[in-house]
Amino acid sequence: MADIPAVSIRDLRKSFGALEVLKGVSFDAHDGDVISILGASGSGKSTLLRCINMLETPTSGEIVVAGETILMKPGKRGQPEPADRKQVDRIRSGLAMVFQSFNLWSHMTVLENVMEAPVHVQNRPRGEVKDEAMAILAKVGIADRAGYYPSHLSGGQQQRAAIARALAMKPKVMLFDEPTSALDPELVGEVLRVMRAIAEEGRTMLVVTHEMGFARDVSSRVLFLHQGQIEADGPPAELFGAARSERFRQFISRHADG
Amino acid sequence: MNAFDLLGFGEKGWGPLLLKGTAMTLAVTISAFVFGAMFGAIVARGKLSNSFLARAAGDVYTTVLRGVPDLLVIYLFYFGGSQLLSTIYQLATGDKGFIGINAFLTGAMAVGIVSGAYQAEVFRGAYLAIPRGELEAARSVGMSGWTMFRRIVAPQVLRFAIPGLGNVWQLALKESALISVTGLTELLRQSQVASGSTRQPFVFYTAAAALYLLLTSLSTWLFNRAEATAMRGVRRA
Repeated sequence: MADIPAVSIRDLRKSFGALEVLKGVSFDAHDGDVISILGASGSGKSTLLRCINMLETPTSGEIVVAGETILMKPGKRGQPEPADRKQVDRIRSGLAMVFQSFNLWSHMTVLENVMEAPVHVQNRPRGEVKDEAMAILAKVGIADRAGYYPSHLSGGQQQRAAIARALAMKPKVMLFDEPTSALDPELVGEVLRVMRAIAEEGRTMLVVTHEMGFARDVSSRVLFLHQGQIEADGPPAELFGAARSERFRQFISRHADG
Repeated sequence: MNAFDLLGFGEKGWGPLLLKGTAMTLAVTISAFVFGAMFGAIVARGKLSNSFLARAAGDVYTTVLRGVPDLLVIYLFYFGGSQLLSTIYQLATGDKGFIGINAFLTGAMAVGIVSGAYQAEVFRGAYLAIPRGELEAARSVGMSGWTMFRRIVAPQVLRFAIPGLGNVWQLALKESALISVTGLTELLRQSQVASGSTRQPFVFYTAAAALYLLLTSLSTWLFNRAEATAMRGVRRA
């Protein structure tokens, strides 16, 4: 029982029709790891992240979250599907996701967005959740926007609200799916600063990103995906230093100013 | 008697009865609209379903009920329904009785079932207008299907549906006049009766038109207000 990985992926495969996007990916994420997942577009990195909380159903392989394996069964047409929806819902509420396009609920204010899952999924008392939500909004620097609707915020503010929404669930692991890719360049910094602050709190994070600076300076480990497989895996100093993988060296030289 | 006395509230005035007819029109339309919302929600769910059978059933419903005259549906429900019930009654008891059915209920059902076909399309369009990412976000926090429907889907469907529902409501309000053929004394039937017994059709039909317009203008105003409230937080293009 000494060290159960926060997330453990075993030989994960995912096909869309004839196209195999993930070709057997395995890795463990331990508590406190900040793992950057890099790769060219089409390398399968977003699909990998989306499989972890079952937004995509893997074709085969195993996902174990804090020691609990997500149970699968064959569906109607033979393709696998989750065997127990309740288990998936429970595991998901411990894996908060931050999306590229924010996906805040547009009919709710920022504060309502942040309070929604704790109140209506985790069934925690409203008053307590509200105090926490305000504290989290202050931490990401948008407490003064609590009563605004998402459409009245800048992209950077929306993404910080989305991060606050994820934090409010007290997740064991946070999943970031290209959190800065939809932002204007001048707004990227404010989101990265928030992510860096969260990483420094010792949270477990899996971050699909194109931000080389974040991968190099903040993450404890880098996974480099190439055509659906892990091509390189190690601490950033090692990978970015004497990059042993020729492909990874080519990849970072293309993203040199990142 | 001049028009004012005819329409007034005096001893020979038709005012109270016309108002009663207006109230009946409103009541039967509200009932029809509520029936329609229930049918519409079920049919929209079917048309959005993965099941081929449910989609086909939904398509048949909307195609048939938008494709036949509303008056025919009312006749079918009222006269056809009563014939059907009478036959069943006669077979079951051996009596030669006749079962009449309630004009209000059948009228509301008939207009409602037609309204449901239009409301189904409105609901379906409104559901498809919800950004997919917001549904994905709901799943990603572990919302169960029912919680997601209640907290994320239904409020957004309603707000995107309001403009379309305003149209369908207005249609139902005007179609309710067709129920007058069953003898239900709603506004149109009441003005027929009044014009027949006073021989003043111009006065009474003009008055009825004004009352219908009052109802439709009032409801347009209400729907606009509802839309303004519901659209808070939506950036307009």
